Amino acid sequence: MSLFSFCRWMAEWTANYMLIPVFNFQRNLFPPFSHPAGTIADWLGTDGGLDTLAWTFAVNIAFAIGMTNLILVIHLERKIAARIQDRRGPMLSFRSFRELGEDLAGEAPSWRFKDNYSGIGILQNMADGIKAITKELIVPSKADKFLFTMGPIIFISSSVFLLVLFPLSDRFAASSAPAGLMVIMAAFSIAPIGVLTSGWASNNKYSMIGGMRSAAQLMSYEIPLLLSMAGVFLLAGSFDPVTIVEQQQESTWLFGLPMWNFIPQFLGFIVFMICILAEVERVPFDLPEAEAELVEGWTTEYSGIRYMLFLAAEYIRGFAGAAVCTILFLGGWAGPWPIPPEIWFLSKVYLILIFWIFIRWTVPRIRTDQILELGWKKLLPLSLINILIVIFMVEIYPYFSDVVNLPEVF
Amino acid sequence: MAEMWISMGPQHPMTHGLWTLKVKVDGETIVDADPELGYLHRSVEKMGERRKYFMNTTLTDRLCYASSTTWTHCYALSVEELMGVEVPQRAQYIRTIMLELQRLASHLMWAGAYMPDLGHITGALYFWRDRELFLNLLELPSGSRLLYNYIRIGGVKRDLPDGFEEKTERILKLFEQRLDEYADLFENSKIFRMRTEDVGNFTASQAMNLGITGPNLRGCGTKHDLRKHDTYEIYEEIDWEIQTREAGPGYSDCFSRYMVRIDEMRESVHIIRECFKNMPSGPTMASKVPIRASGEAFRRTEDSRGEALMYLVGDGSDRPYRWKIKSPMFTTISACPHYLKGYKVADIPSIMGSIDICIGETDK
Repeated sequence: MSLFSFCRWMAEWTANYMLIPVFNFQRNLFPPFSHPAGTIADWLGTDGGLDTLAWTFAVNIAFAIGMTNLILVIHLERKIAARIQDRRGPMLSFRSFRELGEDLAGEAPSWRFKDNYSGIGILQNMADGIKAITKELIVPSKADKFLFTMGPIIFISSSVFLLVLFPLSDRFAASSAPAGLMVIMAAFSIAPIGVLTSGWASNNKYSMIGGMRSAAQLMSYEIPLLLSMAGVFLLAGSFDPVTIVEQQQESTWLFGLPMWNFIPQFLGFIVFMICILAEVERVPFDLPEAEAELVEGWTTEYSGIRYMLFLAAEYIRGFAGAAVCTILFLGGWAGPWPIPPEIWFLSKVYLILIFWIFIRWTVPRIRTDQILELGWKKLLPLSLINILIVIFMVEIYPYFSDVVNLPEVF
Repeated sequence: MAEMWISMGPQHPMTHGLWTLKVKVDGETIVDADPELGYLHRSVEKMGERRKYFMNTTLTDRLCYASSTTWTHCYALSVEELMGVEVPQRAQYIRTIMLELQRLASHLMWAGAYMPDLGHITGALYFWRDRELFLNLLELPSGSRLLYNYIRIGGVKRDLPDGFEEKTERILKLFEQRLDEYADLFENSKIFRMRTEDVGNFTASQAMNLGITGPNLRGCGTKHDLRKHDTYEIYEEIDWEIQTREAGPGYSDCFSRYMVRIDEMRESVHIIRECFKNMPSGPTMASKVPIRASGEAFRRTEDSRGEALMYLVGDGSDRPYRWKIKSPMFTTISACPHYLKGYKVADIPSIMGSIDICIGETDK
């Protein structure tokens, strides 16, 4: 049973037993007059109405799952960062303590190390959210107030939109567009508009430079990103996530193992991983909000829930980027049988996210000119070479293998 | 994009203190720079002229919050010269150990502050974790963690506690292991070198003309260290080397200035071990320290950040008639337009972080 058929069943149940009786009751309250509720009741009875209701349910379920994952990712990032940085508790370095003992490395805490994971640290996210909501939304007096409000709306809504666009498996999808991945990339590239708008409207030099950097970075990394994806599209012959994953599962390799796209298109995989890191603005490519020189860049003037949502939107973009990477190169939801495909998909996504978290806490940030040089001079040629390899695989080799009887490799 | 002035500071993550750097940028390129100092002026010199000689050690502790012992030591040296006090041999050894421990703590503080400038938060926590060990060590004889007031005129406050040598050796051993461990994370890391190499260059002659001293000058390959050239305490008696690095022939960049400090930390570890090896016993305080003094004294020492100079004039009373402090960072920061121009805005934290700013001593 797919997510849609479940939602359709739920929609039918809701419409038949809850919504249509209520609306009909309203229609019949004053019989001589027509009531809009009656129109809605009639529409809900049709196929179109039920489908709309079903998609609404599906989108809400996908959104709820995405938001739950967002909280998990933030918690994961904090936990892993703390372990990498040797922070086990207040005022104590665990490694110094282990090697030097109590007399030199500080007092031993009253709790024991192995007991300190209670699992409720995730509530810190709730506390952060409540704190952000209760804070004042400061608007600088000389800011362009309309655009200052519009910037976050564009950035955050386009990021939240991403959550419902990728399927968790072939049966668990909140949207089914044949051009699915193109829609995702289109949604990804709305964000620079929001960034530039809020950077300019803040009337702050740091924000403006941050917005400019962000626009330059996102635009120049979009090209190698899309080119590295083009190889996958050529191989699968489709933009549809379901088709792409099926193609990866069908083409086999040594010992009949499925040849996921990161094997034949290793170059494209590397280029894509670097570009998506730049696209979601994580270290080492987080220079639009470099806190050392630009004091958080284009988010300097934002406060309260707006700032919080900016941060949340970046994690959402990271999650969506990892999901796209999984679909394109890591075989999507494919995996051995006993574990459901949704769990396979999420575990691959989390693998990528954990890799990014490790990168974030181990490397410094690179500079604007270096990032652009890397994008234009190295990644763009590499992605073109990747396309050449794919064209050779898809078009040239099969043609010649037909003519001179070469073994079928690809 | 038109040229515009950006004011970085007085509150800005790049400043590491309280000062303003005004930069004129053309897009992302720095065209001009203008440092403004003086936000943290506490008038230490004038305050010192109203206090007795021995009271001023608390003021000199507060000159630099990252390296307080070296400043107190510079003051103590100049007062001893003014009064003609002989410091006992054991006190000199203890002073050297404390100075080198302080230098280690100060360089670790700098390294920890430099990493977030490059966007590397983990580096900060790693270096500060090690600084914590040296603060624990400095706490043992002096009783405090930041402002020690341990070096006094004529000697040191009290003798080293029992087991200090063994504890120091344990920490130094761990610290040396950690420096080797960090090499992969920092100096061998490609992105770290991309950010630091060939950035903020100045030549040795430029540095000498502008009054840039200390590790920043030794980063240009110049063998100049006051511990050797205008020697004090027991630096002459023990065997150690001046550490130098250079980015190219006779000039330094951020990476060579980073590396020279890492090398200096290893050398400090060596100096501390040498001191413990032939430490004499005896008193730790001169038998007689006068209260009044007349004449003038001038001493310079190798601070963690460069040459610290102190000039004292006594008029026969128990208070200094004139007290002048020359801070190494004041000249280094003032010279910043020379090594900022032509680089990118993103290089500002990288360059200004690499010269090891301490505003406490700069503004006095």
